[in-house]
Amino acid sequence: MSGHHFTRRDFLKTAGMFTAMSALGGVPAELFAAAEERMLARYPEKTDLIVLTARPPQLETPLKYFRQLITPNDALFVRWHNANIPTSVDTGLWRLKVSGNTEKEMQLSLTDLKTKFEKLTYTAVNQCAGNGRSFSEPRVFGGQWKNGAMGNTTWSGARLKDILNAAGLKPGSKEVTFNGLDGPVLPSVPDFVKSLPMDKALEDDIMVAYEMNGKPLLMLNGFPVRLIVPGWYGTYWVKSLTEISVMTDQFNKFWMNPAYRIPDTPCGCVEPGAKPQKTIPINRMTTRSLIVEPEAGAKLKANKPIIITGIAFSGGYNIKDVIVSVNGGKTWSKAALGKDLGKYSWIQWSYTWKPTKAGKYTLMAKATNSVGESQPLDKGLWNPSGYLWNKVEPLEVTVH
Amino acid sequence: MKRTTFVIMTITMMLALFSTISSTQDIASKTPSSEGTIQSITLPNIRIELKEGEGRVKAETYCNICHSVDYIIMQPKANRAQWTASVNKMIKTFGAPVSPEDAETIITYITVNYGTGE
Repeated sequence: MSGHHFTRRDFLKTAGMFTAMSALGGVPAELFAAAEERMLARYPEKTDLIVLTARPPQLETPLKYFRQLITPNDALFVRWHNANIPTSVDTGLWRLKVSGNTEKEMQLSLTDLKTKFEKLTYTAVNQCAGNGRSFSEPRVFGGQWKNGAMGNTTWSGARLKDILNAAGLKPGSKEVTFNGLDGPVLPSVPDFVKSLPMDKALEDDIMVAYEMNGKPLLMLNGFPVRLIVPGWYGTYWVKSLTEISVMTDQFNKFWMNPAYRIPDTPCGCVEPGAKPQKTIPINRMTTRSLIVEPEAGAKLKANKPIIITGIAFSGGYNIKDVIVSVNGGKTWSKAALGKDLGKYSWIQWSYTWKPTKAGKYTLMAKATNSVGESQPLDKGLWNPSGYLWNKVEPLEVTVH
Repeated sequence: MKRTTFVIMTITMMLALFSTISSTQDIASKTPSSEGTIQSITLPNIRIELKEGEGRVKAETYCNICHSVDYIIMQPKANRAQWTASVNKMIKTFGAPVSPEDAETIITYITVNYGTGE
């Protein structure tokens, strides 16, 4: 296949054959030549997702799935850090170890988690810290996600607080660390371990989830259990969780420091290109919205009403309103909000627009949450890792 | 034996050794235990290739130890200083077993083929 000139259309057409093709040989580098040419592949238990990286898999959800209030399990994005990821788990042997500065050490089975603890269920957006990174200007290194490193899922599981209390916290407990079954390829590479401050870990809504949308977790999304820290970025939502450890001091290893940090400024941002003086671990998600339909470049008919739809969410607060502009931000109108699934879920919104004149139009949406947090209009938040992206994104359409 | 061949063989042996050690952390076995069931997936064998160019083999060999080379391909156009910092991070922070000479070859390859060229 090398030497053949691919267009984006060819590319998407062949994507379905991709897995079969790749088993036979390499994927020619030309396929990556243009940023827009993104490859689809079907990983186990997943539908066709956009491949950022093949190993470890980083798979982005195509925009069309965001037409749904709940993201189907097989379409939820995938992001692992180290390539030695779990591919087989015997739930009879698997245990969640709880230890450290606790009265007792526990080895919980999946059955223990399901039967000995109250079952908690809520819908929450999981979003990668680097979602939207590819829009940062100046551009930054890292996973070049567009908007698809997020999804809205109904999670069920046991409350972390109940698990910690069952083990019994001893005085002096300061942080809790979380480790999964994944590991590095080389022993010199830091294992992916995250920590939460004690007061955060004891919040009522933090969950060790064993179900996504009423089904067992998919392997690539963290089977058999993962941590859910609703309102906070996905980096804390440790997949295939197997060790919880209570610490008496601050956990400061690689994936907490220097990785996954934001400038210690009110916006979590610095002047584009600048180096932050001080950083803190990334935490709550910023408020953001996304236009899902029409898609960029859509050709619309004059005098025919079109429903502009999208989603909006914020880091743990309900969305108060979403405003929509069809003239590049000159004037704004309120969108109608859909069903409210709670402060951690995204909400769908819609706005009916009837363009009367032919021409190019710039659509925009801007969300504000219940505590007044909103989205930057002109200039996106910038930080060296491309985190917190939530700029109002202009979307061009043409009316004929 | 060519140096590149030797490097590849050494890396392969090292990985084989480490994977034996690290596999003890996987909670899996061939037959299910009495109370559980085994969930398994087989990951697709997707091999991403870099463009032809001086240093390509070294870049593919070393980078592929830990990650597929789309990690390189997807990055924004960066200059030599930026790619030097990135390759050095792989060596100093992550312990990639790359000699200073090979690091230079890889940095030049990436800067020329995927960066700004200088």
